[in-house]
Amino acid sequence: MRPILECQRLTKKYGSFFALSNVTFSLERGQIVGLLGPNGSGKTTLIKLANGLLNPTDGHIMINGLAPGTATKKIVSYLPDRSFFNEYMRVKDMLAYYADFYRNFSMERAAKMLDTLEIDRSKRLSALSKGAKEKVQLVLVMSRDADLYILDEPIGGVDPAARDYILQTILTNYSDNATVLISTHLISDIENVLDRVLFLQNGQLTLNATADEIRTQYGKSVDALFREVFKC
Amino acid sequence: MLGKLIKYDLQAASRIFILIHGIYILICLAARFFYMDKLNFDNPTELLVTSLALFMILYIVLISALGIFTSLQIAFRFYKNLFSREGYLSWTLPVSGVQHLWGKLISGYILLVIDATVIAAGILILVTGKNVTDAYSVIADSVTNELGMTISSFGLFVYLFVLVSCISSVVMIYFCIAVGQLFPGHRVLCAIAAYFITSFVIQIFSLLLMALMGCFPGYEFYQSKGAAMTVYMSKLFLASAILMLLILVIQYIATHYIMKKKIDLL
Repeated sequence: MRPILECQRLTKKYGSFFALSNVTFSLERGQIVGLLGPNGSGKTTLIKLANGLLNPTDGHIMINGLAPGTATKKIVSYLPDRSFFNEYMRVKDMLAYYADFYRNFSMERAAKMLDTLEIDRSKRLSALSKGAKEKVQLVLVMSRDADLYILDEPIGGVDPAARDYILQTILTNYSDNATVLISTHLISDIENVLDRVLFLQNGQLTLNATADEIRTQYGKSVDALFREVFKC
Repeated sequence: MLGKLIKYDLQAASRIFILIHGIYILICLAARFFYMDKLNFDNPTELLVTSLALFMILYIVLISALGIFTSLQIAFRFYKNLFSREGYLSWTLPVSGVQHLWGKLISGYILLVIDATVIAAGILILVTGKNVTDAYSVIADSVTNELGMTISSFGLFVYLFVLVSCISSVVMIYFCIAVGQLFPGHRVLCAIAAYFITSFVIQIFSLLLMALMGCFPGYEFYQSKGAAMTVYMSKLFLASAILMLLILVIQYIATHYIMKKKIDLL
């Protein structure tokens, strides 16, 4: 089976600045991967390239063997690091929107999660708090039966109690055949669910290892290793 | 997918669009019943002429504002939906950039056509009162002679021309915004600059084309009457149509290329 995400000498320049430089790795299916690095390390650039929001300057990025495009967007469920809503829409309108465009969207699953989070579906998105909007966005993304979930800072703006629920949601909603790529600064919160870790520093991949390898090789938790590697 | 894109575009635009155009129709109805119907053309005075001139100026400002509003709404929707944070959802839908472009072209065109039709309906509301039609019947023959066709045929001709020119208007809007996207950091400013530069270039070319076709504006227009006027108008419309088609094709190809290959959502 082809890797679900594959980068070969992937490079992205903004003017003369290298946001990503010669990044090469591949991710197999059925794992939760932490994409970790300090601010400006290239995490969001990598995620945007995987979603076809940016064009690579050099190298390739492939989703299931295909360059990002209409076919890959059907199997990638993406949570950006900002709200993408048309604020005038109601929560139920967004559900209908997702159901209209994504065949793999489960309305039933989304409705159940929204009910658990006590989010009123008839409310306009502009009337929701920042945290509630993030929850709605995550519910929409995780209610798709995707092959690759790409989550950019999924727990950054919600309270610690909601974080547990969100992590549980991520764990229970992805199938064995799917891969979840999570970018976050809150490593200690997600460390226990990670199978693999990618460290990005100044646009370069500095570590690609399983969480178990990190614990055995370095004798440290992922969080402790991160703090050591990226110490200011 | 194209149908769904159009549906959501029209839905997003509908609220303010319907409100503004509804207000326009209400203003036209009020102007008809409280102003136009009260005019007495049997005894034309200086006051009547002055008030009509003032009314026409205000009315032209109103319909210009309505047209600008619709164009801005189409531009704003295109920019907001594809190049602001909403773009993070739009560009990750299983839809190609070209499908997005066509979705926006069709929905934008529909809005411009409705806009033109509502403006035309407003004009009809204003001028179909009995006092106006009676007064017009007195001068109908001479106007028909001047235009080379009846006023209703002329109105229909202009309306159809506007419907066709709406295509180039919507392509022009998207072309300028797409060009603006090529300049990260100054996207809106560059889109506005692209609009003014393109408009300037179009003006130069239209003057050149009109000169080449022997229908340079000004001199001939005031001298033309009847059949000569019809010939002049036909030439003018033909020149505009040729230029419009040429610009339309160039702008579409450029926009198509940018949407397909050059979009970076920063």
